[in-house]
Amino acid sequence: MSTMTDSLWRPTRLPSLEEAAVWIVLAALLLLAGLTSDAFFKLNYLTNLVRQAAPVGITAVGVTFVMLLRGVDLSVGAIVSMSAVACALVMDGKPENLWLGILAASACGALIGLANGILIAHGKVSSFIMTLGMSIVVYGLVQMGTGGTARGIVSPGFRETLNSRIGGVLPVLVICLLVAVSFGVFLQSRTRFGRSAYLIGANPEAARLAGLPVNRVTVIAYIVSGLFAGLGGLALLARTGVSGTNPGAGMEFDVLAAVVLGGATFAGGRGSVGGTFAGVMVLFIALNLANVAGMPFAAQLIIKGLIIIAASAAHSWIGSRSGGRS
Amino acid sequence: MRPRGTAALVYQELPRIYWALIALILIGVATGPQFRTLSNLANILDQSAVLAVLALGQAFVIAGGMIDLSVGQLVGLITVVACMMFDAFPGMSLLVIVGCIALAALVGLINGELINRLRMPPLILTFGMLSVLQGCIFVLTDRSVGQVAPAIAFLSNGRVLGVPASLLLVAIVAAAAYYVLQRSVFGWHLLAMGNSADSARKAGLNLFSLTRFAFLVSGLCAGIAGLLVAGRLGTGFPNAGNGLELDAIVAVVLGGTPLKGGRVSVAGILGAVLFLGVLNNLLNLMQVPAFTQIVVKGLIVITATLADRPGRVVRPA
Repeated sequence: MSTMTDSLWRPTRLPSLEEAAVWIVLAALLLLAGLTSDAFFKLNYLTNLVRQAAPVGITAVGVTFVMLLRGVDLSVGAIVSMSAVACALVMDGKPENLWLGILAASACGALIGLANGILIAHGKVSSFIMTLGMSIVVYGLVQMGTGGTARGIVSPGFRETLNSRIGGVLPVLVICLLVAVSFGVFLQSRTRFGRSAYLIGANPEAARLAGLPVNRVTVIAYIVSGLFAGLGGLALLARTGVSGTNPGAGMEFDVLAAVVLGGATFAGGRGSVGGTFAGVMVLFIALNLANVAGMPFAAQLIIKGLIIIAASAAHSWIGSRSGGRS
Repeated sequence: MRPRGTAALVYQELPRIYWALIALILIGVATGPQFRTLSNLANILDQSAVLAVLALGQAFVIAGGMIDLSVGQLVGLITVVACMMFDAFPGMSLLVIVGCIALAALVGLINGELINRLRMPPLILTFGMLSVLQGCIFVLTDRSVGQVAPAIAFLSNGRVLGVPASLLLVAIVAAAAYYVLQRSVFGWHLLAMGNSADSARKAGLNLFSLTRFAFLVSGLCAGIAGLLVAGRLGTGFPNAGNGLELDAIVAVVLGGTPLKGGRVSVAGILGAVLFLGVLNNLLNLMQVPAFTQIVVKGLIVITATLADRPGRVVRPA
């Protein structure tokens, strides 16, 4: 065969090893989990695991888009807190306020995302420090709103519905997470916004010269991130039932770890919503393993850290085999 | 670019955060007599020492385009370990001090070595390490333990001829950081790596040893900061370092060092630390409610970031 036909020949596109890396890690971890405890593969246990992952998972879907654009969103933890608190305050225990509460939570998230997006896109400043500042502001606002104690009551039916299992098997929260992931995948691969995000993240200067609306896509990405964090706050509220004063504290780093495990890099242009979902599951299975093994809290923290390091290392090792380097 | 006279030179060379600092001090002087006292000034300096040392260590990592999220919990670990050891071996304070700083430096070295060998983003590795170190703290204790040696208490709170001892320590650390970062070949190479890791590698720089050394310094400074925290608290409090890593990063960035690296200013970092210290002090003196203080601080981080955007004159150190 001549070189010419060689170079023209293209195999059917399979997911590259780099993209599959997180799924390989997930499969290995599941296998390990199965060996540790045979309870792991019971349907109830697995669905419960995914249910626990819903708040972080839903939030991580939105952050994926920000990371595609070389950004990072550290305000999502504070947005989760604000969303949960705002929702409980607006609902005030009255059934007629149910949708108003959900709307308030989503609006809070989207608005903070909008502020992030405008400041970052038009101010040309580091997203790390900008969203960190925003998270401090939002955290302070939440504390002012609650006065430092848990306030607000969720509407009757809110928790019951979201925590029920359809047909006694499939938890509603799992469906919510899957819907969020599907919507994320749709945004990523079927919309102009999603395709632009990849192009801009890979090379912002080239994208700008090619006439892509870099600022607009950036603002939308942060709105999406804020909105999903708002929905993540609702999921958290459904799980806990009380808003507390700072229920989302520290969640931004769990989310960040999950998104990076899922294949996103700080250099942008890489990663996917599907990968992020797998990254979230890697994180939660790891935490569950430590829990199932009956380890004390201190040991669980150590295991969590080691798993994050090991999974990310395995990921970059597999990625480098396929020629990619993150 | 061309300075005309001393005033223009000062304007150009003074890190921008100093203008904010001067404004804040003027406000303080105008608002009340409490701010103007010498003891209040010394108090601000004492309170700022921990953050200053931690931020200077973080500057090495950030100048190279990396980040170290593990330093907050490292401070906590050192605080706890130091107080336990001071309690257990009262006669061997010096050995404990050296041991604690060595331990912190070792953790930093491990960070750098793992980043090199596993080829991982520093943010993720040090985030994992944050969790590991927090776990280690809680393995040791879940409540305040031990006590602090008199020497360390003096370092944190004492006065040498009326000057806070902690200020002298910060001055030494800052002088060393200035020399290494802004006056040595090593610093030049580190900034080159921060500017473009790829170009630096192609120019023949050993990125591995640069990374290793930057994290070693970050760990070392966290060790010193941990001892200072122990001296201030008088006991090993397991949550003492929570969130300090973010405070340090904020101080470095407010001081004019961008997170992507390639540029650094030790003077700017000291100015930013002082700015945050004075701000805290003023908000407390003005009896602003705690939650409002949080909002104000966040808004200041945002405003200062916007005010110090790229596009201004960038000159090599």
